[in-house]
Amino acid sequence: MRQLLLTAITAIIPVLALTSCHDIEEYTNDPQGNFEALWTILDEHYCFFEQKDIDWGAVHSKYSAKISDRMTRDELFVVCADMLAELRDGHVNLSAPFNTSYYRAWWSDYPQNFSKRLIEDSYFNYNYRQSSGLMYGFLDNNIGYIYYESFSAGIGEGNLDYALNFLASATGLVIDIRDNSGGSLTNVETLVARFIDRPTLVGYISHKTGPGHNDFSEPYATVYKPAEEGRIRWAKPVVVLTNRSTFSAANNFASIMKLLPGVKIVGATTGGGSGVPYSSELPNGWSVRFSACSMLDAEGVSTEGGVTPSEGCAVDLNPLDALNGKDTILEKAIQILTGN
Amino acid sequence: MNIRPIILTLILAAWCAVHASAQETEADERPLRPVFAAYTLEAGSGHLADTYLTPLKYTGWHGALDYTRYQAMRFNPDDWTMRLHGNLSVERTDNPAGNATMWSAMLSLDWGMMRRFRPLPDLTLAVGGSTGIQGGCLYNDRNGNNPASAKGAWTVNLTGYAAYRLNLWRLPVTLMYQPTLPVTGIFFAPDYGELYYEIYLGNRQGLVHGAWWGNYFRLDNLVTADLHLGSTSLRIGYSGNIFSSKVNHTVTHIYTHSLVIGISGEWLSYDPRRHRRQSAEPRIVSPIY
Repeated sequence: MRQLLLTAITAIIPVLALTSCHDIEEYTNDPQGNFEALWTILDEHYCFFEQKDIDWGAVHSKYSAKISDRMTRDELFVVCADMLAELRDGHVNLSAPFNTSYYRAWWSDYPQNFSKRLIEDSYFNYNYRQSSGLMYGFLDNNIGYIYYESFSAGIGEGNLDYALNFLASATGLVIDIRDNSGGSLTNVETLVARFIDRPTLVGYISHKTGPGHNDFSEPYATVYKPAEEGRIRWAKPVVVLTNRSTFSAANNFASIMKLLPGVKIVGATTGGGSGVPYSSELPNGWSVRFSACSMLDAEGVSTEGGVTPSEGCAVDLNPLDALNGKDTILEKAIQILTGN
Repeated sequence: MNIRPIILTLILAAWCAVHASAQETEADERPLRPVFAAYTLEAGSGHLADTYLTPLKYTGWHGALDYTRYQAMRFNPDDWTMRLHGNLSVERTDNPAGNATMWSAMLSLDWGMMRRFRPLPDLTLAVGGSTGIQGGCLYNDRNGNNPASAKGAWTVNLTGYAAYRLNLWRLPVTLMYQPTLPVTGIFFAPDYGELYYEIYLGNRQGLVHGAWWGNYFRLDNLVTADLHLGSTSLRIGYSGNIFSSKVNHTVTHIYTHSLVIGISGEWLSYDPRRHRRQSAEPRIVSPIY
């Protein structure tokens, strides 16, 4: 019996030693601790350091020098937000109860190239259909038009059937995703499934396999299936309209559609945002969102910098045209679809 | 992950145990084997951490429903007993700043058998093995694309108990300590930064891991006192569970401490036709002692 007890005790000691390897690094809830926690979360999880050629160690040196135990929470927020802006990523935000940081230069440095009011007023005279997140109707010259404002707005299969059936007699279709800042990837899949007739490689996902800046998995192929039998699929020419504020899931949609036959991307280069964002938090309760998982297009190319228009289809909205009730980008799309 | 050697080892071990003990059992003896069952509630504190969701440690409350059933084995009832155990636990915890909540819900089921020893008249020690499954998830309500961390495991465990009978004044009491320690098995874990969306798309590579104490450690401790008030007993006690895993650079901790209260008792299923055929008065073999 004594022998049994001794054996049990000697077995338990190394077990307890092994589990001590499962420690989680803890940070103090003061300016220095919160700063270090934020820097480390990004250091271990952010996925575009190498692609964007960011020296994150140098960033630490630059901003840690600005941290002081006497600084206010607002001052700490500003320093942390400035540090995050070094990532040049619209998917990176720091959220505190009094402010949320955004890196806005990815769209603010570019022309907007879109006015929804212009479309509603000049092309539809406010007479269009609206179903779920879709606004649709006929343009002149028998061109179908769908505006999808956000991939966060769910699209039902029935909604799509009604819209595509309504537009079935059109000679071509414009899908306008300007100012669409993204949303759910499952809505991307639902929409793309109407424009393919067989299982189609639409891109790759590569996730981080460890805290190192180059620790990535082999890209995993993403294949979408066409919409099920009985659903309406669109086989006529399609033009997708984009601007710089086409971001995240909308950027992903543009990257997929661009490589489908019979589809052209018209407008301006999209805003990118190909990193799927993760969330984390700091000891003081502030939350941080950042790109953690990279999505590539079907050719294995990152679209973090944006999806460029199809060849010969890059066009900006001319303000003079807009004053005359014309959307230069939409006019270009109509020209492509009508062959005029 | 090749699990065939683990399964073969388990089958062989079970066969050896049954075969060896069956030789000691008289074929014509069919003692009565009452069932000991305990239904308990747990309430206490829970401590959660999962670096897939957050680097912070959350604390809050823990609650659980627990069912334990013991019965002497048919093949050698005097020396061997079996246990069926199920537990449904829920934790609700807050981050240190108190502005985010993390939930955990886990269901576990295990079955095992133990060899009993009686070193003292009122003390029974049992040592054996069990196998079980555990599944559930941790959910952090502030996260967008990584709100949940799913858990699933099939483990082979060392388990046992120590039961001691005594009288507190004139009240019969049974004190029990029941530890369970998984030794090996397999468990589910996504890669370090892998999206569940990627798994949904079909990437199932590297999701199953072999468990050993270096990457998967769980120790369930249950200390109870059954106060035999009549045919049914009042069970009070303490439950302390430690779960810690580290795989793909992701660490998970689930620690709970709770008070236990419930009922327990022995129930006998008696078939007079079957037992009338036996020559002698049927013998009763306790599931615990």
